[in-house]
Amino acid sequence: MEALKTIQPDLLTLSQDQFNCLVPYFTVFAGTCLSILLSVWGAIKAKWPVFLVASLTCLVAMVNSLVLIQGTSQSLFNGMMVSDSYSHFFNLIFLGSALFTIFGSFRYLDEEKMQHPEYYVLVLFAALGMMLMTSAQDLIVLFVALELMSLCVYVLVGFRRNDRKCNEAAMKYFILGSAASAVLLYGAALIYGATGSTEIHSVLKFVQDHPQSLNPIFGLGFSMVLFGFLFKVAAVPFHMWMPDVYEGAPVPVTGFMTTGLKAAAFGTFVRVLLAIGYGKGISSAIQSHLHDILWVSCALTMLVGNFIALTQVNLKRMLAYSSIAHTGYLLLGILSGTRSELGFAPGVMYILIYSAMNLGAFVILTLLSSEGDSKLNLHDLSGVARRHPWLSFAMSVFLLSMAGIPPTAGFAAKYLVFYSAIQANEIPLVVIGVLSSAVSVFYYLRVLVYMYMRDPVGSPPVLRVSLWSGLAIASMILITIEVGVLPEQMIDLAKRVVLSL
Amino acid sequence: MSGFNTHLLSVLVFLPLAWAAVGLLLPAKEGDPRSPLKIWAFSGSLLTFALSVFLYLEFSTQGEEFQWLETLSWIPSLGISYSMGIDGISLWLVLLTTFLMPLAILASFNAIEHRQKEYYFLLLALETGMLGAFVSLDLFLFYVFWEAMLIPMYFLVGIWGGKERIYAAMKFFIYTMVGSLLMLVAIFYLAYQHKLQTGTYSTLILDLYKLHIQGEGYLGAQSLLFLAFALAFAIKVPLFPLHTWLPDAHVQAPTAGSVILAAVLLKMGGYGFLRIAFPLFPSAVSLYQLPFMVLGTIAVVYGALVATIQPDIKKLVAYSSVSHMGYVILGLFSLNQIGVTGSIYQMLNHGVSTGALFLLVGMIYERRHTREISAFGGITRVMPLFSVAFMIVTLSSVALPGTNGFIGEFLILLGSWGTNRVLTSIAALGVVLGAVYMLWMFQRVMFGPIQDPLNEKLKDLSLREVCVLMPLVIAIFVMGIVPNFFFQKMDPAIQRFLNRSSIGLASQPNSVPQTSYAQGNDHGSS
Repeated sequence: MEALKTIQPDLLTLSQDQFNCLVPYFTVFAGTCLSILLSVWGAIKAKWPVFLVASLTCLVAMVNSLVLIQGTSQSLFNGMMVSDSYSHFFNLIFLGSALFTIFGSFRYLDEEKMQHPEYYVLVLFAALGMMLMTSAQDLIVLFVALELMSLCVYVLVGFRRNDRKCNEAAMKYFILGSAASAVLLYGAALIYGATGSTEIHSVLKFVQDHPQSLNPIFGLGFSMVLFGFLFKVAAVPFHMWMPDVYEGAPVPVTGFMTTGLKAAAFGTFVRVLLAIGYGKGISSAIQSHLHDILWVSCALTMLVGNFIALTQVNLKRMLAYSSIAHTGYLLLGILSGTRSELGFAPGVMYILIYSAMNLGAFVILTLLSSEGDSKLNLHDLSGVARRHPWLSFAMSVFLLSMAGIPPTAGFAAKYLVFYSAIQANEIPLVVIGVLSSAVSVFYYLRVLVYMYMRDPVGSPPVLRVSLWSGLAIASMILITIEVGVLPEQMIDLAKRVVLSL
Repeated sequence: MSGFNTHLLSVLVFLPLAWAAVGLLLPAKEGDPRSPLKIWAFSGSLLTFALSVFLYLEFSTQGEEFQWLETLSWIPSLGISYSMGIDGISLWLVLLTTFLMPLAILASFNAIEHRQKEYYFLLLALETGMLGAFVSLDLFLFYVFWEAMLIPMYFLVGIWGGKERIYAAMKFFIYTMVGSLLMLVAIFYLAYQHKLQTGTYSTLILDLYKLHIQGEGYLGAQSLLFLAFALAFAIKVPLFPLHTWLPDAHVQAPTAGSVILAAVLLKMGGYGFLRIAFPLFPSAVSLYQLPFMVLGTIAVVYGALVATIQPDIKKLVAYSSVSHMGYVILGLFSLNQIGVTGSIYQMLNHGVSTGALFLLVGMIYERRHTREISAFGGITRVMPLFSVAFMIVTLSSVALPGTNGFIGEFLILLGSWGTNRVLTSIAALGVVLGAVYMLWMFQRVMFGPIQDPLNEKLKDLSLREVCVLMPLVIAIFVMGIVPNFFFQKMDPAIQRFLNRSSIGLASQPNSVPQTSYAQGNDHGSS
């Protein structure tokens, strides 16, 4: 067994290339620190400056990542971190998600009387945690990044301090999330025990060198890591926490969780799965064992998510269950990734598209909600289309996209995943998938029924759409339709990104 | 000019959508009876019709199989291309669509008062979806149009429909969706098979025709694939026992919606069988020939029987669709030239006559706000023009010689006689039952004394309504008297279809002489 690597000083200094790769991380970190300083500076009203600094930080880091996505892989900090297309692709998702969450929350926080600058700081910090998480090449770094992200999000979930439901959600999330982190960490420890390293390339090398002689400890560690991730992505049967948390959290935070958090968990999941030799190198007994676990979880996730969503009347809760269902499709993409020609590209693309459409839907929900996140039941949407034709149109695009109706991006995402699953010969799962997505059409369309086909009840106030929210919605619509009509570019990008893994 | 010719089909397909998008910018007041939108939408649909007439004139029977072929790479990494073309079968269905659309729009002028902007936008968007599905030569592109078509129809039924509109719209959407998602899986499976057999991905229909799909037997791969497609198409046709969405959707939809639904959307199913399910899976077709013919026969008789007892005119017409479309399935699965020709002809007939029936029902509904048969009686006295039109359409629907309905049903029965005599004899009952329910309804609505005083002051057809009905009445007679005019352009396409679909049917008795209809209209008007 390879002993702990001695740290070599020359590996700790950064070359120019390495420094360039880290610019997005530094940017976000610097932006976060600046925001903290601004928010405690008593002499100014912190609202606008922090908002602007946070938004600009995200934008600048996004541009950086966009440049770096073309670049080559760089191993950083003694192999603890890596900067490759894959990590920068995910950075784009996280930063985009953070940016549009910030845009969507700006007026919301005013209306809810919780315009505290900490909010933006926490979102930025969470985004930094996500970025580090998918770039981590070491299970310890991964865990630290995961905690950085999770702790910020625990606080964000409970951001409405005086609300019981919100506190309950934060508490639940904190306890269950910590337990899951502990399981994951314990799994990492066991893997270290079995292979002598926490650095994932060494683990992979060890697994490939000793395919038959892996002891049960490795299997146990592997399973625990797997369960930890299944919890984080809220796959059935580890999904119980999610609806309550999603319902209790402030709307934009829920949007942030369904997009950024989920993408981070999935992005890291894929990296770790591959690192532990999933699909290449692992002994076939363990491989089929893992495959079975994922298979069952995937089938259950698609079914449970979609069927329970049918009965929900609260939109936030409905989208929470729909998010579980989408986790199922993502798992399908991951499950078939090793055996299809497209590899993990469909899964990765699904994450991006799901993030875009879900973020859009949540920005609209943020606009629709009134004090204390009330008025988000289906009947509150009655006749919205009469007063807000454009908003309703946008919502329809997002919902139809989630239901996978052409020509939207959601359709492109779904067919790619199904396509690769057919190549991987997972036909029963595909049939379950398409039938459950036919079920999902019902609850997505029901929202349209209320918006377009029912008469308005009472005289609800006219909503004001802020510039920022409008910008967020418009960008998401653009992505949803553009990728839906001309998906080729996105497929290419996803393929390239996955190659760098 | 060459650029125009090579992109003619794209222009045709997307013209209505583009027209509708411009229409969104026009000013419109809620409930304005003189809204410019109506004229705008109407002129857009007329222009589309003119374009398709141009296609008809330029279409050559001697030419290649698919004309105005247009193929662009769309999603190359999955072998998906944007490919359109038109042959003798799709040509007529395109013409049917573009012919009915202006009439449907014209018929909505008074009926739709609220949210006109959305209404005309959706109607034209629907036209794009339908035309796209008829001219697609790529399975994936076909699927995209097939699904995209659902959205406008869903809103048309759900917003402007009757009392139970939401239930009907939901049922329509989900029924169709379940079928089509399995079709999507089958499409991917085919593309993957193409990759395995030739090394490249392709979803082009013409490429897939060349595939040899392994797996014989009732549950072999080929049969399962066939069934996945057949389910989607059978739901759309709709074939008994998958027809239950149809009465709801038809009855609840606004008049134009019912017209388009009956006249064009149902044809999608038949067209799918013709273009995709049969030629791709010939040996599965020969296995499942009998079960489908049985279902078709049941649909013919069952639809007719249920139609007989309906108290609501629109529901009666809806069930008559089930019966008429049962003939289409019967004819297609008889797999000989006469039966298939009859089926295609019956699809066009059904579009014209049932479309006309729904328009007529809509007109009387606008006047009386009821469709109960018992609320009427003696209408001939107050609405003579309406009664004449109604009578002609009724006679066409009961397949009186001299009208279009006769040619279609006669050819289908003649064709299926060569395949299965027992089923044909039972299906022939449908003709009798058709006469029973249609004429009985006609008698109760039109003749006798006027019982309800509300009926005494009904106004006869306006000029606009005459303009709506006149083209349909003319079409009924033209199609009934000179069917050869239509057959000429279809023939080569039908020949090719049969060549592809009847592998494994070599031993099929084909006792009916192939030329019996080609001699001219010897069984036409007499």
